[in-house]
Amino acid sequence: MILQTIPGPIEDILKVFEYWDHILSGFIMNMWLYAFALTIGFILGLILALVRQYGGRVFSKVSTGYIEVIRGTPLLVQLFLLYFLPFSLNWPIGSWRLVSTFSLFDKNIEIIFFDHITLIGIIALSLNSAAYQAEYFRGAIVSVGGGQVMAAKSLGMSTIGSIRHVVLPQALRRVIPAWSNEAAYLPKYTTVVYFIGVKDLFREAHYIVSITFRSLATYVIVAIVFLITISIISKALDIVYSRTRIPGL
Amino acid sequence: MKIHDVWKSYENLEVLKGISFDVEEKEVKVIFGPSGSGKSTLLRCINMLNPPDKGEIYLRGQNLMSSDIDINLMRSRIGMVFQQFNLFSHLKAVDNVSIGLRRVKGMKKEDAYEKALQALKNVRMDAWANHYPAELSGGQQQRVGIARALAMEPDVILFDEPTSALDPELIGEVLQVMLDIAKSGTTMIVVTHEMGFARAVASEMIFLDKGLMIERGTPEHFFTSPQSERVKKFLNQLEVLYGSHEQLLQFKDKEEL
Amino acid sequence: MSETPDIPSIFFYILFTGLPTTLLLTGIGLLLGLIIGLALALMRIYGAKELMWFASGYEKVFRGIPILVLIFIFAFGIPVEFLWYINPLQRPLFSVFLALGLRSGAYQSQIFRGAINSVNFGQMEAARSIGMSGFQSFIHIIFPQALRLALPSWSNEYAVVIKDSSFAYAIGIIELTRAANRISFNYPELWAPTMVIVAIIYFLFTFPVTNFFGERQTKKLKKLGLGGG
Repeated sequence: MILQTIPGPIEDILKVFEYWDHILSGFIMNMWLYAFALTIGFILGLILALVRQYGGRVFSKVSTGYIEVIRGTPLLVQLFLLYFLPFSLNWPIGSWRLVSTFSLFDKNIEIIFFDHITLIGIIALSLNSAAYQAEYFRGAIVSVGGGQVMAAKSLGMSTIGSIRHVVLPQALRRVIPAWSNEAAYLPKYTTVVYFIGVKDLFREAHYIVSITFRSLATYVIVAIVFLITISIISKALDIVYSRTRIPGL
Repeated sequence: MKIHDVWKSYENLEVLKGISFDVEEKEVKVIFGPSGSGKSTLLRCINMLNPPDKGEIYLRGQNLMSSDIDINLMRSRIGMVFQQFNLFSHLKAVDNVSIGLRRVKGMKKEDAYEKALQALKNVRMDAWANHYPAELSGGQQQRVGIARALAMEPDVILFDEPTSALDPELIGEVLQVMLDIAKSGTTMIVVTHEMGFARAVASEMIFLDKGLMIERGTPEHFFTSPQSERVKKFLNQLEVLYGSHEQLLQFKDKEEL
Repeated sequence: MSETPDIPSIFFYILFTGLPTTLLLTGIGLLLGLIIGLALALMRIYGAKELMWFASGYEKVFRGIPILVLIFIFAFGIPVEFLWYINPLQRPLFSVFLALGLRSGAYQSQIFRGAINSVNFGQMEAARSIGMSGFQSFIHIIFPQALRLALPSWSNEYAVVIKDSSFAYAIGIIELTRAANRISFNYPELWAPTMVIVAIIYFLFTFPVTNFFGERQTKKLKKLGLGGG
């Protein structure tokens, strides 16, 4: 009995790796969600930031309100709200899914790319990320400074023109450090979809633990997967940043 | 250009109180006065970056205050040079000058580039055409700023204390460029402390204090027999601080000749 | 449970059931994070190379692990033998304390490092020149100013921790979010409104704090000449 309770760690890790197909499919799920959330969040966040800065009194307030509310409430609550919204409003949700199955080293891997719950996960993560990205964009836009906008206008550029040609090119370059922060750490938050049933890495980890009972090894491996992914993304973004340097920006 | 009875207030403070004057072609108007007198505000009223509350501003007969005017088009005919240079930091010098030509006047890339280089040549910055603003000294940046305004071939160029943010040894090069421009017949409205410059090329000088035009006249008038006490005191202060600039300018002047 | 509860009673139920635990989790998490964060920041600024390396590594690790995974590692991962000093019934609670604290420590380290570094170097020089030792100048001159500089970011971290406390839901702890879900389980049609209510509660605890200690405070401090630089 005592020998059973503290089994050799190496043996643990190997046992968990037997289920590598689950780990892989879960990881792909997280990355899939991450890619969507980051991209949609980028577009939406940029729009939000521009509206907040240049949109006129009403829209600016709306944008600011959205950003502050999303940033002031937990992601989990937002997720639940979105998940149960159709239910509360009595909208019928049909069951549908977009699945992909493929074979790797004679193990069948099935990934559900689109599903009612996956879609909600994507929406929740995107809306959330957009608010945080909007804050970073705002900082970058403000840092360009009103003087250059004045100069652009004095040449005869319209407001839109000055945003397009003067503010955005600089803001987008200046935001890279802060944005890389968000981009690198967003994968962490994709695990939240566990709560609504999406088969992400975390849920797969549960599955593995329920079979193997090697809880420490499993969770540690999951943690390491995230660590490595985040490091890679971080490093990649660092390289992008150093490649696009302009003196004085 | 006609500036007629312009009033402007910020919150409860009346910054400009009934300013009126005309500017003819090829004229160089120098506006000077203590800080807080509303000089910068006046300039920004003229090109409508900060429209006045009351009054009218006419450019070649067109009222800039009226609502059926394309203000962007009007602004492209009024150039401005800023105290803080305000160069576009993400663009090289030549692009800084050409962007107005391309995006506002719709010129083709090659033509705009040619024109930009020419403008840079006029301010003697053509060797630095491919440098970014961060790589240039203050005086060089300002000269690019002047080129940027010049390239648009405006009806009038506004100068907002163009040398006030410069280190002393860099002021000369900018003043020299401004001198050349003035001599070549550009219409200029200049806000500055540089009395040497004013003495050399100003057609009329206006003293502004607390939003009112206190005195106006030719440079000779101001430097030989100013009327108001305020003006006399101010000129004396300037002499003490900036006396050396006179020599700077004359020296350069003689060099040119 | 025959009649559907109305909004105010939902509000108060969630508040009284969940809020104490949420605040407890947040408080201990932040406190633990503070101690760890300060220690790490000092290590990175004043420490020997090995300490710097350790602190840097710690930061990297604990910023890169999802909070959910961290909670589960402590709640279910570590074999019981290693936790002899913790009452097994309290294990979920302590796991969350640990997870939140360790994670917050990594982020607070960054905050304090930034704050200490932005206190004007001239202050240190001035302090030394009147004879204060390095230690003294830190305690009396740099640290107080660094604390003020760190306030905006720190209030942000507070908001992050209180939001992360919602993940304790996963291991059954009755904090705000779980309290809300309890109601929803019994009255499914009220799910969305209940979520909105709990969102409002969270918002009431985050927005005023971050707004107050954020930019406005910094601007005021700058006017008074405090806050370094």
